[in-house]
Parts: sequence; C-alpha cells; structure tokens
Amino acid sequence: MMTETRTDRSLLLAVGEGDRSALHELYNRHAPWLMFRLRRRCSDTGMVEEVVQDTFIAVWRKADTYTGAGEVGAWMWGIAIRRLVDHLRRTRNLEPLREDRSATVVSAEDQVLVGVEFGDLAGAIDRLSPELRAVVQATLVDGLTMKEASQLLGIPTGTVKTRMMRARARLREELA
Amino acid sequence: MSWHVEPEMLEAYAHTAIDDAHAYSIEAHLVSCGECRAQIATLGDQKELETLWTEINGAITVPTPGIIERGLLRLGVKDHVARLLAATPSLSVSWLGGLILALGFAVTAAHLSSRGFLMFVVLAPLLPLAGVAVAYGPRVDPTYEIGLAAPLSSFHLLLVRASAVLTTSGGLAFVASLALPQKDWAMVTWLIPSLGLTLASLALTSVISPLRAATGLAFVWVSGSALALYYAANTAATAEDLFGGIVQLVMVLVTVASVALLFGRRGSFERGVRH
Amino acid sequence: MNSVRIEDAVKRFGSTRALDGVSLEASEGITGLLGPNGAGKTTLLKVLATVMSLDSGSIEIFGRDPSRHRHRLDIRRRLGYMPQEPGFHRSFTAFEFIDYVAILKEMTDRKARHAEVDRVIALTGLEKVAHKKIKALSGGMRRRVALSQALLGDPRLLILDEPTAGLDPEQRLRFREVMSRLGEERSILLSTHQTEDVAALCPRVIVMNHGKMLFEGTPKDLREVARGSVWFSEARAPEARLSWRTGEGVHRNIGTAPPGANLVDPSVEDGYLLLLGDEAFIEAAWRRSRQCAGRPWFTGRYR
Repeated sequence: MMTETRTDRSLLLAVGEGDRSALHELYNRHAPWLMFRLRRRCSDTGMVEEVVQDTFIAVWRKADTYTGAGEVGAWMWGIAIRRLVDHLRRTRNLEPLREDRSATVVSAEDQVLVGVEFGDLAGAIDRLSPELRAVVQATLVDGLTMKEASQLLGIPTGTVKTRMMRARARLREELA
Repeated sequence: MSWHVEPEMLEAYAHTAIDDAHAYSIEAHLVSCGECRAQIATLGDQKELETLWTEINGAITVPTPGIIERGLLRLGVKDHVARLLAATPSLSVSWLGGLILALGFAVTAAHLSSRGFLMFVVLAPLLPLAGVAVAYGPRVDPTYEIGLAAPLSSFHLLLVRASAVLTTSGGLAFVASLALPQKDWAMVTWLIPSLGLTLASLALTSVISPLRAATGLAFVWVSGSALALYYAANTAATAEDLFGGIVQLVMVLVTVASVALLFGRRGSFERGVRH
Repeated sequence: MNSVRIEDAVKRFGSTRALDGVSLEASEGITGLLGPNGAGKTTLLKVLATVMSLDSGSIEIFGRDPSRHRHRLDIRRRLGYMPQEPGFHRSFTAFEFIDYVAILKEMTDRKARHAEVDRVIALTGLEKVAHKKIKALSGGMRRRVALSQALLGDPRLLILDEPTAGLDPEQRLRFREVMSRLGEERSILLSTHQTEDVAALCPRVIVMNHGKMLFEGTPKDLREVARGSVWFSEARAPEARLSWRTGEGVHRNIGTAPPGANLVDPSVEDGYLLLLGDEAFIEAAWRRSRQCAGRPWFTGRYR
C-alpha cells in the first residue's frame, strides 16, 4: 500500500496553486467513499458519477476558499451533497433555491447522536419512521440547511422543522 | 484514532446492505479517518474511478493560449493586451502568412525589373491598410456590439490593434525590403505612405465604415501611383524620383492631417452602430 | 429611483419606424418584452444598451444621459448586455472568450479577473465546457456563454435580447433559476417570444408591436385581457379568431365568444394572442406547427 506522506490539507493547498497531481491524489483518497456515500442517497448511478465529477471540478476551482476549519473530508462532502441537491432539484423541476448557504449549526448533542455508536442509538434510529429518518439524515448526517433539506426531500421547510423536532424528541425518549 | 470500522461492516456499507443507523455512524467516522477511507477505496470500482478521473482531468485542463498570444506574451506584452490583440483577425497566422507571400512576390518582381521595384513600393503600404480595415469594426469584429456596450474605449481598442497591425506588417515589409536590389534610402520609400494611408483610413473610420475607408483609399493610392508612373513616362522625371520626392511630401501632409482628424473625432467611435 | 426611463423614443430605419413613441420606466426586477419579430424589441434593447442612439425622444439610465460621453461611460460600467446574435471569436475557448469580454469591461488584474470569469461560468453551469473551443459548442451552450459575459462584474442593469432562444427545457429552467435569483436586486430587461418565460419569470410584461407599446402590466393582467374570450367547443368554432384542437380532442377558441360558450380560464398566451391580433396568430400558428411537426391538428383561422 502507498504510504500517505502528505496530509489532505497540504494537498488542497497545492491544488489551490494549480497542482494537478495533488488533485489526483485527493481524488484517489476521497472519490471512493464520496461515491459510496452518495450512492446511499441516490440510486441513479449516472447522476452520482456526475456529482462526483462536479465535486472535484469545484474542488479544483475553489480550493483556495477552504478556510482550514474542519476536516478536508467534511468540506468535500459539503460540496458533494449540495451538488446532489442541485441535480435532484433540476430533475424534479422544483422552485429555485435562493442563495442561502448559512450552514446549520449542529449542536454538540446532535453530533454525539450520529458520531459515536453507543447504547441502543442504532436501534432507536432504526425505529424512527422513514420520513423522520430521512430528515435526520439530511440535516444531521449530511449537514444541509433546513431549506436545502426541504429541496432534497421535496417537502416544505416547515415540515422539515417539525419532523426534525419530532425525531429529536423520539430519540431522546428512547435513549433516556 | 484507535477505533476503526470492521472490514465486514465496511463491505456491507459499500453494498448498501446495512441499516441506516450504522451507516450514519460509519459515515461520520469516514469523514475524519484516512485509514478507513483507504480501506473502503479498495472496494470501489477501479475502472469507473479511472474513467471519471479522465473526464475530470479533461474538464480542468487550462489550454495554453494560441500561438499568436504566446508569442506576444514572450515579447513582454501584458496578458490582457495580448488577449485583445489575439482577437484581431489581421493578426492571425493565416493573415501573416498571406502578408509574407505577397511581399515575397513583390521582392521577386523587384529583382526582375525596375518596374517590379515600383510595384513593391505601391504594394507595401496597402498591406497595413488592409490589415487595419479588418482589425476592428462593426462588420469584422464578431463581438463589436458587446465591446461597444463595455466600458473599455472602442477608440483605445482600435488604436491598440491598429498599432499592432502596423508594427507587424511594417516589420515584415522592412525585412522584405532588405532583400531588395536597391541598397539605399529608396528601399524604405514605402514607409511614409504606409503610415499615411493607415492613419487616413483610421480617421475616415470616424465617418464611414472601415472597409469602405480602406477600399476608397486603396483606390486613390493605386490610381495616384498609376498617374505618377504615366507622368514619369512622359517627362524627364523618373518614377523613383517622384516616389522619393513629391509622394513622400504628400503623404507626410496626409499623416499630419489624419492624426488631427482622428483625435478631433475620437468621440464618434464610442457612439454606436449607425444602422 | 428608476434605473431606466425612456420618453417618446423614436428610431427610424429608412421609412419604417422601429420605435414609434415608446415611453417606459423600469426599476429593480425583471421586465419581459413580448412581441412578434420586427416589433421593435431589439431596437429598444440596443438603445438601452447604449449601442444605438435615438432619432428623437429622451432616455435616462441611472439618471444619466447616454448621448453624453462621460455619462455613457458611467452607464456602461454598470451594464451587462447580451445581443440577440452575439458573435464570438470562435477560436477562443469559452473561458478565453469570457475573459476577453472581462478585459473589455476594464478588469486588468489577472487573478481577480479569472476569479470573476470562474464565478459567471459556475453561475451558468458551464464548468465542464469552459475549456472547449467555442466552435465546438452547441447552440444552447453558446447562448450560455453569451449570458455569462453579460453577468461579468455583477451589473446593476442587465439587457438580454432573447436569452432563451435555442435553449432546451432543462437549460431554460436553469436560466429562469439564475434570473429569478439575480432579479431581486437588479434591473433586468429581456425580450422573448415565449409567453411561458414571461409567465414564469417576469413580474412585469410589456407587449410591443410596430414600434409601439400595446400593453404594460403583470402576467396576470395580460391573462385577464383574454378573460371571457377563450372557450372550448367540440368542433372548430367558425366565429373564433383562432381555433385549434387540443391534446384532449376538444377545440380551444380565442375571440368573441358566442352566448352560452364553455368559457375557460385564459392563459398569458391567450392574452398576448388576443392583444396582437393577426400577426401573433400567424406566428403562433407557425410555432405550434413546428412544435408538433407532422400532426395535422392546427386549424388556425385569422381575419
């Protein structure tokens, strides 16, 4: 196996300066898991491939906008999931998405919910209705805003909010 | 990090054969764990990944600028000026090739007879004239209208392109004139007429279209030259003397008048299409 | 403040009056110009884009007079213009071409300019073809390149002459998306043949014909023009000005409805057709017949 000498950050820095081989290395490291993760959210293989492609073109162009806060992987996922929302929205003919990129503030409590496996969280999530689980996935796991989640799922923003509240209440109840 | 996802679990995840709750947990871990990312990378479809990379690589390719633009950059021209010039039809490779061909014929003719030399003197000023006519304007620049609506002065653009055209065709004509049989001042007889005709066409462009201005001037220049030759044939004066004397004087006057007219009417270049 | 104000504008080409006393004001938001070919839309937009001057009448853009040199420059610095038939330097790549226009827009700093070019390329979704030569691009892609250059420098006034011509449905959707996002803080004037564009996009519609403005209002107002004049019938209605068989097999008629007619809710297109009369009927007939080539369903009648 290849030894990974350079960190993702230094690769991204090099990409910002136009280093194509650095982008290739980032692609080798990150494209596979991004693709698997997208595939769980979209069954259309062609669309997933396009999203991955768009994502790395965006990484190439926007590498210098990476602020250094947070994991490179998380940053890339943020790009990828938004590209997926864009693609889905376009095929679904939905209303235009207004410029609103204010990220959702994920509370520490929420992060614990998805970050680590403990207790019977897995069971609790599993017992949520598919509708509630979809909202948990879009907002907590994928880090979308309420508005973006509503675009992704094709339901009004208000509904996303109420479903999220119900999902949290259910999870707390089960874990208590 | 010491905790890693079990290989079987990763495989189940990759085949979407795992429940959502475990999937979320794996996904949260993958974001921050390089080792597990490398592990799951081995499960990916390598062929698909390679094809995708080829496509990405193609899309991010920044092509090297065209040959003219590269040449200009090497000469130290600023990149934005080089781009403005690269869009000039009369600075294209094919145009320059045409110039070299025309000059080559004229030089050959000059070696064959003294009439041939006069042909060179009449022809050389027509080349920058034609070049400037197709350098900028409503009919020749495909983006003329977009350019007009943009703040960069059309007059400025015209001058930048005209001087580039004048320099290249003048330079080529000079190189060609070194190959002429005449080795005295006569070999640059074409220089002042070139300047005069080109500037006159620019000045006229403030009133009529560049193509019309150039055609009209070319007609006047060729018939004037024919008259001079006719006059020389019937008097004691030689054609060489006429082109070296009176023609030079007339063209100096034309040059001065054109510059005055050009700058006096510069505003008309910004006003827009007349039709 | 109004971004655009035109009063009694007249422009003649020979003996025809391309603009025959047009007066209009526009502020922020999207204004759609509808009208058949030769209605004067393109002339009006050229005048607004400062590439053509008026024979008489007055025009002010951002309170400035485009016939004065210094004012014109101020206007051009805040203007994006997409001509009806934009020409391209075909040997340039899409990126190089947009970069070229950015230079014409006085952006000399290379880094900042390239960032701006990248921004408009992303806005119109051209990332994947940005480095292809323009001569290798499809018509729809070229329209997007033309639109991109108009968006450079984030202009306050956008003049777009038939921006949706030649776009496929998905591209059209994307265009509407970009426009509705931009139209919130900018003035956009666009011309189109498509009443659907106007209905989906423009809070304000102007219908022109023969150099004159026939209508000004919201798409809803335009629809209301045809209220009570659209009805369904089993057979072609002889009294209708325009009558065609719909997909459901019944005839849709526009005109003066006979008593007891089965009136239906009018569409924006109905209002437009009724307003323009014969010319629009002919044009719509032609367009419809092209859309449904080979299906002999159109039985238009105009008087």
